[in-house]
Amino acid sequence: MIYLEVKLPDIPGSLIEIIKPISQNGGNIYGILHHHDKKIKNMIPVNVWFELNEEYIDLSIKNIQEDLFEKNIEITKISIGSKNKTLSFILSGHVFDTDITETFKQLDSKHIKVLELQAKFTRLDEISDVKMKVEFPESMTKSELIHEIEKICKEKGLFLIKS
Amino acid sequence: MELKICLIGKGNVGTCFIQLLKKKREIIRELYNCNCKLVAVFEFDGALINENGINLDELSTNNNFKKSEFWNKSLKAKDLIPKLSIDICIDTTPTNPNTGEPALTHILEALNNNIDVISSNKAPFFLQYKRIKNLADKKKCFIKYEATVASCVPALSIKNNLIGNTITRIKAILNGTNNYILSRMTSERIPFEVALKEAQELGYAEADPSLDVGGYDTAGKIVILANELLGWSKSVKDVKIEGITKITLNALELAKLDGYVIKHLAIAEENNLIVEPRLVRRDSPLNIGGILNLIELQTKYAGPIILMGKGAGGFEAASAILNDLINIIKERNK
Repeated sequence: MIYLEVKLPDIPGSLIEIIKPISQNGGNIYGILHHHDKKIKNMIPVNVWFELNEEYIDLSIKNIQEDLFEKNIEITKISIGSKNKTLSFILSGHVFDTDITETFKQLDSKHIKVLELQAKFTRLDEISDVKMKVEFPESMTKSELIHEIEKICKEKGLFLIKS
Repeated sequence: MELKICLIGKGNVGTCFIQLLKKKREIIRELYNCNCKLVAVFEFDGALINENGINLDELSTNNNFKKSEFWNKSLKAKDLIPKLSIDICIDTTPTNPNTGEPALTHILEALNNNIDVISSNKAPFFLQYKRIKNLADKKKCFIKYEATVASCVPALSIKNNLIGNTITRIKAILNGTNNYILSRMTSERIPFEVALKEAQELGYAEADPSLDVGGYDTAGKIVILANELLGWSKSVKDVKIEGITKITLNALELAKLDGYVIKHLAIAEENNLIVEPRLVRRDSPLNIGGILNLIELQTKYAGPIILMGKGAGGFEAASAILNDLINIIKERNK
């Protein structure tokens, strides 16, 4: 869920200016709240909750921000709820043999939590495949998360297949 | 208007092009008032040259064209391009992926002599894109290469239909061989080596498949797509490449358990070019099977736009070349 806070002029038709870019970027709007009681200099704070396709989330948010900026709409806050901050990936190689507990610790030190783990292997000291689903902090972008996972993979010689 | 055409390379694509030109020549004459005359066909060991126009009926059916009175042994395209009176040079020669030759020399030679160029060879464009484009601009020549990416799928020319929009990202499946191998590994649980052998037996994979399975072929294509559609100036050296050889059956099984498949994707976004296996949702449009190619263009004002079709084949490439030819005729008519 994405939470967006903007300031809009109290004139007819101004709401459509924020709905359009959200909709054009595939957003599904759940709720809109006008704070008429907090009107200052004819500007009303408006809160919008919407969902975006997880696959395109970073790009879509960037597009929405650019569109609102072009329309001179002031964004006071935009945040992504925890629902969308997960990523699944597969690690192939000596995942267990290179100390999977230590891998977890490395992820944990960056506030990345392993939510799910599924593995296929014959022996712990042989090549295995492990699928993980992790949750990462709101402040971390998907690219930053991938960078952290790639660092571990490079260090341990693992092959990463990400979503 | 009369257009004198020179074809370099009469392999599968070149031969299919001659057959298509023969079929469509009358329509081109009627619709665009243009008489397309094939005046030279170059092969590795000589050239068929007739300034009055080569008989397409004979050429498209006769494999003994080297016995024709117009056949000249040992003539080389690069030597003759400046001397022949031609308007358009079409290059379909087998080309070295590391040097782009001999196609690169043919393309540069033609442009230097103010001749428009159509090519089905991708290597010159993923190695020397800027050099070729700059020369074409300087010489005010048309340079078209639709067949280089996804063959008949209008992956490059779609740009002309999206001028009012902005393409922000490309995600694509650009190698039919790799997609076939991964599809078979997923659906039949056969190991990589078996799926590859099967692809080779069916003619989908080369005897030396390393350029395909290693990701280099896909990397070249995403460079061309990104340069053309996103306005970048990259070369294949700028691509982070990972092939499909490390994908295990167990990894494919794990992906499946959670509603994913593994696909070999080419991605151009935020100034980065990446070719690597990725987890893709089973219900994603990117989950196509077999030898198909798919290109997903993320646009700023209309969300994703998807192109899909056969990414290889003689007539598929030849039809893309003919489209390029017609587009040049339309431009010249303006």
